Amino acid sequence: MDSARWTRIAIGVAVGTVVGLGLYASGQVWPLSAAVGVIVADVVYAGLTLAQTREWGPMRVAAGLVAFAVATYIGIIGFGDFGDANAVDPNTFANTKAANSWALILAIAMVIGAVVTYGLELLQTRRLASLSGQFGTRTYLLMALGIGINVILGQTVAAALKIPIYLDSIGTILVGVLCGPVAGALTGGLGNILWSYVIPPPFQYQPAAAFAIAAVAIGVIAGLLGRAGFLRPRPNRPVSELLAGGVVTVVLVGGLTWAAALAYTKIFETKIDLFPDPAKVDLIFVLLGYLAIALVALAVLGLFALLLVRRDLTAAYVVVAGVFTGIVAALISAPIAAGVFGGVTASGTDFLVAAFRRAGADVYAATTGQGLISDPIDKVTTFFTVYLILSALANRFKARFPQGEQVLEEPSA
Amino acid sequence: MTTALAVLAGGLLGPALLTAVAVVVPAVIGRIFGRLLRTALLLTLPIAVSVLVVNLFFFPAGRDVLFQLGPVTATAEGLEFALETLARIGAISGAITLFYLTTPPSELVLDLERRGVSPRIAFVALASVQTVPALVERAATITAAQRARGLDTEGSLWRRLRGVLPLAGPVLLGSITEVEARTLALEARGFTRPGRRTLLWWPPDSARQRLARWVLVLAVPLLLVARALGWLGWLN
Amino acid sequence: MLTLESVTYRYAGAPRPSLHDVSLELHSGEVLGLIGASEAGKTTLCLVASGLAPRTMGGTLTGRVLVDGEDTAPLAMHELAGRIGIAFASPATQLSGVAATVYEEVAFGPMNLGVPRSELIARTEEALTALRIESLADRDPALLSGGQQQLVAIAGLLALRPAHLVLDEPTAQLDPAGTAMVAAALAGLAAGGASILVAEQKTDLLLGICSRVLVIDSGRAVLDGPAAEILTGPQLADLGVAPPAAIRLRRAAVNASLPAATLARLDEAIAHAMPQ
Repeated sequence: MDSARWTRIAIGVAVGTVVGLGLYASGQVWPLSAAVGVIVADVVYAGLTLAQTREWGPMRVAAGLVAFAVATYIGIIGFGDFGDANAVDPNTFANTKAANSWALILAIAMVIGAVVTYGLELLQTRRLASLSGQFGTRTYLLMALGIGINVILGQTVAAALKIPIYLDSIGTILVGVLCGPVAGALTGGLGNILWSYVIPPPFQYQPAAAFAIAAVAIGVIAGLLGRAGFLRPRPNRPVSELLAGGVVTVVLVGGLTWAAALAYTKIFETKIDLFPDPAKVDLIFVLLGYLAIALVALAVLGLFALLLVRRDLTAAYVVVAGVFTGIVAALISAPIAAGVFGGVTASGTDFLVAAFRRAGADVYAATTGQGLISDPIDKVTTFFTVYLILSALANRFKARFPQGEQVLEEPSA
Repeated sequence: MTTALAVLAGGLLGPALLTAVAVVVPAVIGRIFGRLLRTALLLTLPIAVSVLVVNLFFFPAGRDVLFQLGPVTATAEGLEFALETLARIGAISGAITLFYLTTPPSELVLDLERRGVSPRIAFVALASVQTVPALVERAATITAAQRARGLDTEGSLWRRLRGVLPLAGPVLLGSITEVEARTLALEARGFTRPGRRTLLWWPPDSARQRLARWVLVLAVPLLLVARALGWLGWLN
Repeated sequence: MLTLESVTYRYAGAPRPSLHDVSLELHSGEVLGLIGASEAGKTTLCLVASGLAPRTMGGTLTGRVLVDGEDTAPLAMHELAGRIGIAFASPATQLSGVAATVYEEVAFGPMNLGVPRSELIARTEEALTALRIESLADRDPALLSGGQQQLVAIAGLLALRPAHLVLDEPTAQLDPAGTAMVAAALAGLAAGGASILVAEQKTDLLLGICSRVLVIDSGRAVLDGPAAEILTGPQLADLGVAPPAAIRLRRAAVNASLPAATLARLDEAIAHAMPQ
């Protein structure tokens, strides 16, 4: 990247930070201040780019971002059920129905933002170069394969293994990372619809179509993270960088565990006990606890092996990508699971939902709690798997995909 | 053909009645009710059992105790909630099953393509439907090969897990690598030509089918309005 | 006529070109064999001749590829599809993956090209007849044998009515029965006056159908001449290519000092196998 671009980014970030902090200082709530700050930063960057290089691309993205923000704001004011700003208690998920509705609004606003960005491009250039660049014969074939992988693994995990994760988005994330956000979104959305309506038994899973919007969001996020070079190998990094990556990983995984433990203790009003008394706690929850610990331990072990043995800093990026995608996916899926299926989708996650409900959470709170535990674990595992797949593929092969250059190691300067 | 969608949209209201009108009647007319019932039951049994068990025993607002079973208590409120959810799932599942029993994937996709869906999206849909059995078959071939080399794929869970890893790698990577060769073959056959392609055949569409579709599509807003105006109280 | 004029091609990211300054002419009605050791550049040459390199593969090409005297550089891949057809070694990956029957599979190419429906049917049936696979028309292509799938793939190309066919080792992944099946089909096409460039390790197969053979080594064309002369000549083994079995048999017979009468009868049999 040239230095002029870095300068524009720096100016944008500086202006955005000042505006955001100013809003917060003048008494606005922090999410609004932060959102306005980010948007101002992007608009300033896009404006400078337009002025200096006559490039419209960033401006169209900024317009999409503004549309996204406006749609979110209207959605929350008009349809959201927020009550007062402090109603959501992260410890008990008390007002989760309210917290949930905004995630669905975000997903819809995301679609509106995309339509604005690409609509402007179509109006201005009469073509959709940035969109059609994501699609080619390779992309279509990988999408079909990705849908097949989603369905087979997802169905195996949901119907046969009965563990509280999904593993039904490996194909979506693979396509998103290699081909782009819109290709990833299509893989996820189309895949879930086909999974319900077209794929014949035994691989048919009827609840899938209802969660198509969540799969779309997963594909978009994977595409954007891939474009940003999140899954680029970063082997043989100096110890200081690895240490920083290790700290990020530990903080994220530890934070998640802590949040889950907190929710658990608040809801069940018991202490965490690694060897609970079977007389007091149901055996099923003891077993589930062990399973969850085993899964987390496996993922963490694999990631640390990557970090320490290959000294590959990307392990930390994989965790960040997985946790972020997982939280978004959980927040979007929870109201669907609760509203359409009463929280039960005939998969391993049902036991977790049952546990929350038994402790007195309503169905919305229960699906949110379940999602916030299942999804980050699931998406970290998925991103990790996709990273392993990518590192097994030849560079020449990967480079021919639309975003293939972004998953290759950067040549040492 | 679009019944599934219409039933889904209307499925929140009086689902049982809807199931009768939009699923059972056409199935009986089409003489596939037996197969429909069997398949739908087979597909919904696991979810139905889960719904029943989870809500019957773990419904948080449950006060009316029906019976005790070891450490858990069954409640009347839980049963009611479970039955409501089951009715809804029954309608959705019946519609989906009816849909796929009467509509082979290729017919659906060709019909959609004829009605203006992009040929590329149609291609992805058809190809992914065929990818599932192809991947399963590839997995079976590799499993057989590994068993011939003495790898244990049966027995304890740990042994099976160890068997899965050398299986997943070749299946996934092999089919991903094939994308390159398939890209060349498709492009050599004019796949990248923009615009619509000629269709060899497409499923017939009768006037009666069109009528049924419009009725179902119109039923959605009607039901929504009726529900909003509170005319559907008698359904509960 | 398909012409390559001093073509040099380098794959994206590769340090050196895979083809150096290769020229060739494939005349209408001619079957040209392409042989060379593995990694010599046979596949690359096929990809360049078909237009897939650089259109689909990326990479850089210098020199010209002409079809009937017209430079192909400005043409997109789908515009070339009806003029040059290419088949590959692996039968399964050439199938479209969306056709439920062989008939639909063969029709896939002309469907993409948007030809009118009546012509689509005529082309499909003509291609099925040309390869004598009408009896397979209603079968599921995924369930056929490798040899049958290869015939279906070639029929799918013929339905595009290309002026030239490029076949990249069409029998490399087939069992002997499948190889025989494809060889018979190629002989039939050759007799019918098709113009074909066929890369092949199995020199026996070329012996029966080619009029001319081009040998490449390390990306350069090193020999070009009549099939009978090159395939029976002494240089082949040095270039990493196994000569046809009949020729190896003759050499073994000479080395074993068999009687002159036996050698004469062997020569007679070999001459009988040569193209007239």
